[in-house]
This record gives sequence, C-alpha cells and structure tokens, in this order.
Amino acid sequence: MNMEKVFPIFAAAFAVIYILAVEFNWALFTYHPKIGEWGWLAQPARTGPPMYWYGWLATSLLGASSLSLIACPLVGRRPAQYWLGWLVPLVVMLTFCYLFRDFFLR
Amino acid sequence: MATFLVILHGLLAVVLLGGITHQAMSIALPSRNKSGIFRSFRAVSGTVYTNANIALFLAVTILGSIIYPTYRIAVRTYLENARLYGATGSFELKEQFVAVGLGMLPLYWLLWRRPPEDGGKPARIAVTLILCFIVWYGFLVGHVLNNIRGLFGL
Repeated sequence: MNMEKVFPIFAAAFAVIYILAVEFNWALFTYHPKIGEWGWLAQPARTGPPMYWYGWLATSLLGASSLSLIACPLVGRRPAQYWLGWLVPLVVMLTFCYLFRDFFLR
Repeated sequence: MATFLVILHGLLAVVLLGGITHQAMSIALPSRNKSGIFRSFRAVSGTVYTNANIALFLAVTILGSIIYPTYRIAVRTYLENARLYGATGSFELKEQFVAVGLGMLPLYWLLWRRPPEDGGKPARIAVTLILCFIVWYGFLVGHVLNNIRGLFGL
C-alpha cells in the first residue's frame, strides 16, 4: 500500500462519508445513554435521547478504509494528490457551519 | 468520576493546544532567529511535536467520548431548556470538526514524516493549520460550555 497516495484519499473520503452519515443518519450503531444500551444501526429514542456520534465515526472509518483500499490500485502511477486531504475536509467543515446555521440564527 | 475526567480532558487539551500551536507557528511563520519570546516560539522544530500531537488528539477525543453521554443527558438538556441554542450549536460543530480532524490524522502524520522538499509543504501547512483551528475551537467551546452558568450568570 502506498501511504503517500492513500492517506489523502482516506482524509477526503472520511470527511465526505462523515457528513453524509450525519445528514442521512447512517450510524453503524446507536448508544442510549440513559439506559446504557447499544444497538445496531440508527435506532429511535427509547428512554432519553439516543447518541449517534459513535456510530457515525464507525461508519466513516469503515467507509473511508474500504474506499482507500479500492482506490489504491486505481491511483497507479499518478502523483499523490495531497490537496484532496485538506481541501475536502475544509469544505466539509464549512458545509457543517452552513447546515447548523439555524442554531445561531434563532 | 465525570468531573475528574472533564478536568483530565481539559488538562490534556491544554498540552495539545501548546503542541499544535507551536508546530503551526513553526511552519506558517517560521523563524531562524531565537531572539525574543515570539521568535523563539516560532523557531522550534515542528517535526518533534507530531507523534505527541497525534497521541494527545486521540487521548483528548477518547476522554471526550467517554464523558459525552453525561453532556448529552444533563448539559444539553439544560442548554435547550434555557434556550441557549448558540451554545448547543457550538458544541454540535465541535463534535463534527473533531470527527473531521480524526480522519486527517494519518495524512498529518505522513506529511510531517516526509521531507517538505518533496512537494507536500503546502499540504503540510494546510493540514496543520486546520488541525490547530479544530483544537482551538474545541478547547474554547468546551471551556465556555463547562463554565456557562458562571460565565453568563445563569
């Protein structure tokens, strides 16, 4: 595995999959903090609020790792695209600011 | 227990803040001259901070994720009842930024491991500055929320 080429793809894929996971609630698992229970995939509230953040992280880790492995042979002899690894996460962060604007505009 | 973990989380965040800020300054505004405190601050060798910063980022995130349920049940409910939507939103952004930062750590490690002459210097600067911003933002939001009742007389 060529880390020089794979790590920028991983950073970009992680950020994109993460924002999609948040927006469409693709949590790999859910934690119910009030009753201390875990459940597979995104589950509705039981007693108290559910927590999806851990599940979103797991989804992103799994998705970005898979995508990086798939991309590994595809990038071939192309030079490492380092810009992908910082520009995409930066755009994702700015998109989060836009998505959460209602918190600050009420 | 949660109070102990919050304090530990905060203390490790302070160390991380120092390390990542030193490194970010050393690459964004480098200085070879060590005369004076500001120049000395920028004249450090940024490479030596990398592994420590990664370990601290992971440690602070793991501690944060352990105390997160306490925040979700007690603190966030309080903030919502008090109609402090800006505070709630700030924390929401913090958790998303930290997650994005986690995904950048392997690249950050790689960029600081290889010589900057190999063409990765702009990316090294960008990744370090983004992580530095995430750490500062997370620290300030966490600090304000932890003390929100005292700070705003609630």
